[in-house]
Amino acid sequence: MQSEIWVFAEQRQGELVEVGLELLGKALELAHPAGWKVASVLVGHASENALCEQLLSYGADEVIVVDHPLLGSYCSQSYARILGKLVRDYNPKVFLLGATAMGSDLGARLAARLRTGLSAHCIGLELSQEKKLLAVVPGWGGNVLARIYSPHTQPQMATVMPGVFDMPQEKEATGRIVPVDVDLNPEDVTYQILEVKREAGQEQALEKAEVIIAGGWGIGSREDWELVGDLASALHGMVGATRPPVDEGWAKENQMIGQSGRMIHPKLYIGIGISGEMHHMVGIQNADFIIAVNRDPEADIFKMCDLGIVGDFKEILPGLTKEIREKLQK
Amino acid sequence: MDFKLSEREELLRKSMREFAEKEIPPRMEGMEETGEFPVDLLKKMGDVGILGVITPQEYGGTGMGNLARIIILEEMGRVCPAIPMALQVHHMATYALTKFGNEEQKKKYLPPLAKGETMGVMAVTDPSGGSDVAGIKTSAKLEGDVYILNGRKCFITNSHFSDFWVVVARTGEGGRGLSAFIVEKNFPGAKPGRKENKVGLRGANTGELVFQNCPVPKANLLGHEGEGMNIAIQDIVEAGRPGMASVALGILNAVLEQAVKFANERSLYGKPINTLQAIQWHIADIYADLEISRLLVYRVGWMRDNNIRCDTESALAKQFACEAAARSARKAIEIHGSYGVMKEYPVQRLLRDALVTIPAGGTGEIAKLVMARHALNMFK
Amino acid sequence: MRIIVCLKPVPDPKHWSRLALDPKTGTLIREGIPNIINPLDRKALEAALQLREREGGEVITLSMAPPSAMPVLREGLAMGADLSIFLTDSAFAGSDALATSYIMGTAIRKLARYDLILCGDQTLDGSTSLVSAQIAEFLGIPNLMHVTAIEVQKSGVFHVRSQIERGSMLVEIKAPLVLSVAKEINEPRYITLMNILEGEKKEIRVWSSRDLSLSEPWVGLKGSPSQMADLFIREAKRKVEILQGDRSEMTKILADRLHRMGYC
Repeated sequence: MQSEIWVFAEQRQGELVEVGLELLGKALELAHPAGWKVASVLVGHASENALCEQLLSYGADEVIVVDHPLLGSYCSQSYARILGKLVRDYNPKVFLLGATAMGSDLGARLAARLRTGLSAHCIGLELSQEKKLLAVVPGWGGNVLARIYSPHTQPQMATVMPGVFDMPQEKEATGRIVPVDVDLNPEDVTYQILEVKREAGQEQALEKAEVIIAGGWGIGSREDWELVGDLASALHGMVGATRPPVDEGWAKENQMIGQSGRMIHPKLYIGIGISGEMHHMVGIQNADFIIAVNRDPEADIFKMCDLGIVGDFKEILPGLTKEIREKLQK
Repeated sequence: MDFKLSEREELLRKSMREFAEKEIPPRMEGMEETGEFPVDLLKKMGDVGILGVITPQEYGGTGMGNLARIIILEEMGRVCPAIPMALQVHHMATYALTKFGNEEQKKKYLPPLAKGETMGVMAVTDPSGGSDVAGIKTSAKLEGDVYILNGRKCFITNSHFSDFWVVVARTGEGGRGLSAFIVEKNFPGAKPGRKENKVGLRGANTGELVFQNCPVPKANLLGHEGEGMNIAIQDIVEAGRPGMASVALGILNAVLEQAVKFANERSLYGKPINTLQAIQWHIADIYADLEISRLLVYRVGWMRDNNIRCDTESALAKQFACEAAARSARKAIEIHGSYGVMKEYPVQRLLRDALVTIPAGGTGEIAKLVMARHALNMFK
Repeated sequence: MRIIVCLKPVPDPKHWSRLALDPKTGTLIREGIPNIINPLDRKALEAALQLREREGGEVITLSMAPPSAMPVLREGLAMGADLSIFLTDSAFAGSDALATSYIMGTAIRKLARYDLILCGDQTLDGSTSLVSAQIAEFLGIPNLMHVTAIEVQKSGVFHVRSQIERGSMLVEIKAPLVLSVAKEINEPRYITLMNILEGEKKEIRVWSSRDLSLSEPWVGLKGSPSQMADLFIREAKRKVEILQGDRSEMTKILADRLHRMGYC
């Protein structure tokens, strides 16, 4: 095994999870100026061939495949044992995983097993002059950013938030597949997954909602207000409003967000046709991620959002809702 | 002199604040509308120990004491002052029973109060006398083994949510002719009368109790015949006044918070109004009122817990804190400008709440008489 | 059943605006800011108390913190824990997640018998989410994270619900084990006045490095492979990325972004 950077290729229901590919892309970006190579690490049982080809097509220099019947279902203890031995045998300098449920868990155990440092939930990665991995990590509820590194231990590990890096481009595959044999006993698998449930969104209070789509005065009419509801239902979220839509009767009093309404802390907030007045903004300041859609490029909300789309919601929302529904059906 | 709260008191404040912030807000709109206490909250409060804070452990309470009681009332009042108004009168009843009741009475009546099965009531005020306790006309005539009660009590807190009441009535002549009784709602001839419609502290139910030839068994005489005035006054001094002062303290906390929030967020002339000196002075005055009131009220709690007589200090704390609450609420309204007098904003309710604390549990004028009497004797 | 709950005292978020950066050391100044029990650890403790009510046994809290953390540990006892183990020593200062997990794992080994170790998924301050899984690795026992329900099937066998992306899985897993809980698991009980009085009578047992057989290079700053290169307080919290231009292209980009963040 030649690669200096290893990236865990997480799979779910037989398909590669995007964050593993995003990290592969970023790893390649970091590796090449340093003269390094990148390997994707695939762990599981059967159905791996197509996935290996996919990983090669995204540019992996190597795809390390560990295939064993007892690895067919994820178990943190056995996976950490297997990967721990692999890492000790081949000594990569960097090991990256997505900060998903699986990746966070596996990465933590693996780092402890290897007695190495892991930077968790990163939102940025750099390679220093001395070829040390610098991870950008938020702390204190996101108010503080730190750059963490582990100069004395190897591999340097990090888990990275999905969606931070872009998907790499597909290209002509030039890498190779490296299958690895491992020894595993049934006692090594220390828990059994009995059932997996996919949950749809449920009715709840606005303050507890994780996804909120809010509309403002800019929506303009009761008919157009339905577009807000459509987007919310497509994302399994709830509908919120500023004061004017409530006054107009498009929304109810208990949907109002702001100083004299609800204070919300969703993971995702999308504000449509909302200018960004303080009254409303204090109600959403604790949202993890704020997206704004507004026709007016000078709207205040664009100074206080994570992602702003300057455009007419009537031209964007229908298409967006449709694409979201299609993606969810897959 | 240690002005710090103990670890126990800090933990108490923390857990009370959590309880208040979670349990009270969903019920506030209903309370403001109907003027009624949220009875479903009573059992929860009993479970947490709020109702039995000055009841001894052998009767279902914790006996944590008077400073603990003040902290509880302050934290409840910070969220909704009507709640501690109801609670403090409840405690007045537990105080009277604990201090003056015999063993049977304590065993029978204290546990249901501590658990929250019913609310406590202290019924002293007659239409003919509140400040003038000796002017009480409600009569209790001994006939064989029962006292026959006749009369009306007005402005009684928790009147309609309680199964039994401590009632002060006339058994003889003059100030020494008053006695206290435990009257159960199901005694014939006893019932709650009209409900009052207060402008503030809505959610602490206030109303009348009516007695028409109501027979009260001798066993329900609290203390001795003729002890009624003493019981009423001690209750007011040691439980009622600090209780009302704690309600005012809760209001002061809420007033400062509202005023500061608004001053920090409202912008005029291109910047927040907290940069304007006039606003800063208002805020300073409110802050001073809060801190002074708190020191006065906590001192009473400390004196009571250390068994030191505190008639004057108690009067001072009550009179000052309630006036301060009203004065500061008014300032807070002015900081809000026109928003301050819109029902949507809570600050107008705080002024109405503060106004009700002023005559409740003893008027400011009586408190001043107490203070004057003490001061005039100071330099002999 | 013996349950160990890891409780971390963290600075109260209501006072975070007072956090300041020490320009000399590059670390955050925490003095003067009151502590609370890390909210998810409180839920872990609540889960432990509920299990004790159903199955019997004892609940022991374990905390590694500076001496100022005592009132927070007392709060854990007031909530209902039977005993608090307090690991405190200046030698532990500067420990990252790995060193912390090692120290706490060593303390757990010293307690010898345990069926279940409960933690919160992450803390308000460090939020690394590493410690629960790393303690499990040190002890050589299985672990699950993002737990929303715990049921005892029969002695030593648990059925645990654990959240995954847009769903959950039900897992059968045997004691001894480590579980870290998600916020959906429960609403912690109120601390009653009686609890406060009872909590004052319970023991906070203090252990320093003398009481644990620790390998010196593995604790404190020395034992912490992760180091801070630098630290800065975010001025504008938001990324403020603005897209303009072709409607259908922006729609596609937005849909793709939402997909990659896991919303569709």
